Amino acid sequence: MTKLKILAFFLVAMSLLACSCQLAKEASGVFISGTSSGDAETLNWILAADSASFGYAGHTVDSLVAYDNEWDIQLRCAARDVEVSEDGLVYTVTIRNDLRWSDGSPVTAEDYVYTLENLMFSDWLNYPYKSDWQEEVDGETVFITAEVVDETTFSLTRRTVDTEFVYNVRTLAPYPKYIAVKYEGDVKAFTEAPEFNNLTYTGNLGPYKFLEWVRNDKFVLERNPEYYLAKDVGAPYFEQYTIKIFGTAATLHAALEAGDITYTGIDPEKMGKFREMDWLNVYTVPTRSYLLLAYNQRDNGWVGLKQREVRQALSMAIDKELIVEQVLYGFGEPAFSFIPKPSPWYMDEGLAKYGVGSLLDKEAAQERLLELGYAVKRDDGNIEVRDEEGRPLKLTLVTNAGNEVNEDVCHLIKEELAAIGIEVELKFVPWATELRKYMMNKIPGTDQEPRYNNGVGAVSEEPWDMLVILFNTHPLSPSGSDVFYSTKGGLNFWGFFNSQVDGLFRQAKSKEALDEEVRREVYAGLSVLMSEEQPVNFLAFQLANVGFQSNVRGLEPGINMGYNYHLWYFE
Amino acid sequence: MKKTWLRDYIIRRLLYAIIIAWGILTVTFVLVRIGPTSPADKYLANLAARGQDAAQVIAAVEARYGLDQPIYAQYLNYIGNLVQGDWGWSFSTSMPVIELIQTHWIYSFQLILLSSIFAGIIGILIGIYSAVRQYSRTDYIATFFSFIGISIPNFWLGVMLILLFAVQFGLFKTYYDTSLPLFSLANLKQLILPVITLGTGMLAGYTRYTRSAMLDNLRKEFVRTARAKGLPERTVIGKHVFRNAILPLITIIMFDLGSIVFGGAYLTEIVFGIPGLGRISFNAIFADDYAVVVAITLIAAFLILMINLITDITYTYLDPRIRYD
Repeated sequence: MTKLKILAFFLVAMSLLACSCQLAKEASGVFISGTSSGDAETLNWILAADSASFGYAGHTVDSLVAYDNEWDIQLRCAARDVEVSEDGLVYTVTIRNDLRWSDGSPVTAEDYVYTLENLMFSDWLNYPYKSDWQEEVDGETVFITAEVVDETTFSLTRRTVDTEFVYNVRTLAPYPKYIAVKYEGDVKAFTEAPEFNNLTYTGNLGPYKFLEWVRNDKFVLERNPEYYLAKDVGAPYFEQYTIKIFGTAATLHAALEAGDITYTGIDPEKMGKFREMDWLNVYTVPTRSYLLLAYNQRDNGWVGLKQREVRQALSMAIDKELIVEQVLYGFGEPAFSFIPKPSPWYMDEGLAKYGVGSLLDKEAAQERLLELGYAVKRDDGNIEVRDEEGRPLKLTLVTNAGNEVNEDVCHLIKEELAAIGIEVELKFVPWATELRKYMMNKIPGTDQEPRYNNGVGAVSEEPWDMLVILFNTHPLSPSGSDVFYSTKGGLNFWGFFNSQVDGLFRQAKSKEALDEEVRREVYAGLSVLMSEEQPVNFLAFQLANVGFQSNVRGLEPGINMGYNYHLWYFE
Repeated sequence: MKKTWLRDYIIRRLLYAIIIAWGILTVTFVLVRIGPTSPADKYLANLAARGQDAAQVIAAVEARYGLDQPIYAQYLNYIGNLVQGDWGWSFSTSMPVIELIQTHWIYSFQLILLSSIFAGIIGILIGIYSAVRQYSRTDYIATFFSFIGISIPNFWLGVMLILLFAVQFGLFKTYYDTSLPLFSLANLKQLILPVITLGTGMLAGYTRYTRSAMLDNLRKEFVRTARAKGLPERTVIGKHVFRNAILPLITIIMFDLGSIVFGGAYLTEIVFGIPGLGRISFNAIFADDYAVVVAITLIAAFLILMINLITDITYTYLDPRIRYD
């Protein structure tokens, strides 16, 4: 009897506990995410080239997998991780069997294959990112092949190995074939299709369903109780999820302070103030973005920049910690390579750390320029930096106007280089001007279409010597940065051509690099080589600051902190 | 008799308006397309980050929206569609332009209307009072605040009002909430700060103009005559002085209306997050969203022409001596 009573008591207690947990996580409230970075262009995401559009649609349609803060795979629409054949050519994807479109029909492998073959690879739709699914075979650009294996399995076949293609595959999301066929071949009809522009097809594919989009104001989603991943636990826990667009950072921050929004990013200079607000939780998380100072090694840049030793000397004169402290308010880390620290491929060993410690030395920088013939020593022992014709060296530094961080970095670099006797002229130009007149290039006197890298001999319309810009590296697939640093890289606008670097990038994607240890070694070698070559001066990796109202629970601060946002809740 | 010449005048002006609007449409249509930028430019940063061939993407995007065709072909196509009521497709917001404008005009309209009423009524009343009590303490105070009102940038004023009344006192929301019904007290309440922001400069201006116009007329002979006839001061000021002072004021108020419709209201919309036409047009310009830029320029031009016409017609009622032959 006593045992029974204990058992009964235990059961009641457990039930109450379960109930209380359930109560704490009942769906409630509106989560408002504030942003001042602009609205999306379309919910018909296959047409989009802007990141906001993918972000909006991503709330309603999951990709195959997501990554947590440690870059471990979290399965989403995929039933298991993408399987890669031993030869690295065949990728087999198995999706869950409980995925449904809005009309109740199952999402099948056929939908994925149709999305690839008939939409992304088609000529009529002009999918902006089609090159993600192309490869070079015998000098020809061809698409990979997609095939249905069975109801929930499909395969993608390449003819050449690319070790990091798998990361691309994992981002796949489907379009419903049963709707898309109605618009196939007619780009206008497809662009204006109400099902795609209102996300009416998304079924149980995402934690939220589309409710309303007021352009330049807000994007509103409502809880999707059928969400395949979390319906068993009652998630997602917000009745609505809203993205609210603000015109200025000042009003965005005011809204967070007043409690009118739940979450937003916080500018570094405001962090001190926000940390003191006990109704907010503020986190600092790593990012994949790094600031860099590009050295123009093309024919319309200062000739000295073509020499590795000159680039090293300049990098030696610029204090990276000063940039982190003064421009990023401490929310950054000096960078020495294009691979960010949170990447599993990051290696610190052997990096030439220009701009910190012993490699931050203005006198040594001057000495090196003297040795290279770009300076003269006066009778009093002082060194004066000169150009190849013996005149005081004057360099032009460009960045996009209106970007405060970039502009501040430019001012600081100007001061740093002035300390070694180099005069820097700053040019802050509109983004489009920077792209078209400074970054795009062509061989003079030819009818080449301007591109970011038209090869040796190509120069930009306007001459420049240095340029400050912000780039990203995907922490899992750094080999994608070959577009910036390899000879044929489509975005190698500064003209850095180095066969050793080219070889290492090729190796990182090669069959032998399917062995992760080999790839790790390749990346380590590449990082060291790049830190020595200084094709650009890697300045600093940025950290991001985010603020949440303190009643938000379930957060896991980190580089991918949104990966589990369907499980966040209000206390 | 008046009806006939006025009707003819209105018809003539409307015809002119259509011709002018067509001219503006044509010039705008060509200008936006011959600029050095492309609607695909905004993608370049993202494409760069993803390692795509920008030239290929630009060509693809331009082909998708027919921007790869010669300008004359695009123009003929546009005019043909416009005649049929199709204003084109906004590729920066993915919706028909006409739908975009239909959704957003009301946000600008209510802000401009309320700001104008607020500035017009209070500004004119203060201006009259200042003129009647010239050089009094009240006049000096009104003059002082008018100069401050004219000098304050409305962008700064808006942010300060938000920080003070929304963040510190919690009396208002920090942003405009489009989910509230338009015809509700809650909506009216949330428009208080934006209206003060947009209206303060206008109010200060109207105060100064009214004062000046009133003082001009107060010195006229007919005022002395009216007073000599023994008319009450209220009648002298209200019926004789103000009625004569209002003509230049109408011109200024109407001119103001035209300029804030797509200009001055923009900053207020930005600060308070109001998705009005000012914000839409600004974003469209930066996104090279040609269809929206052309449509909004056309509407703005037509509105200003109409405002001028209404101003001219109003003159004839306020001053029966005026007629347009």
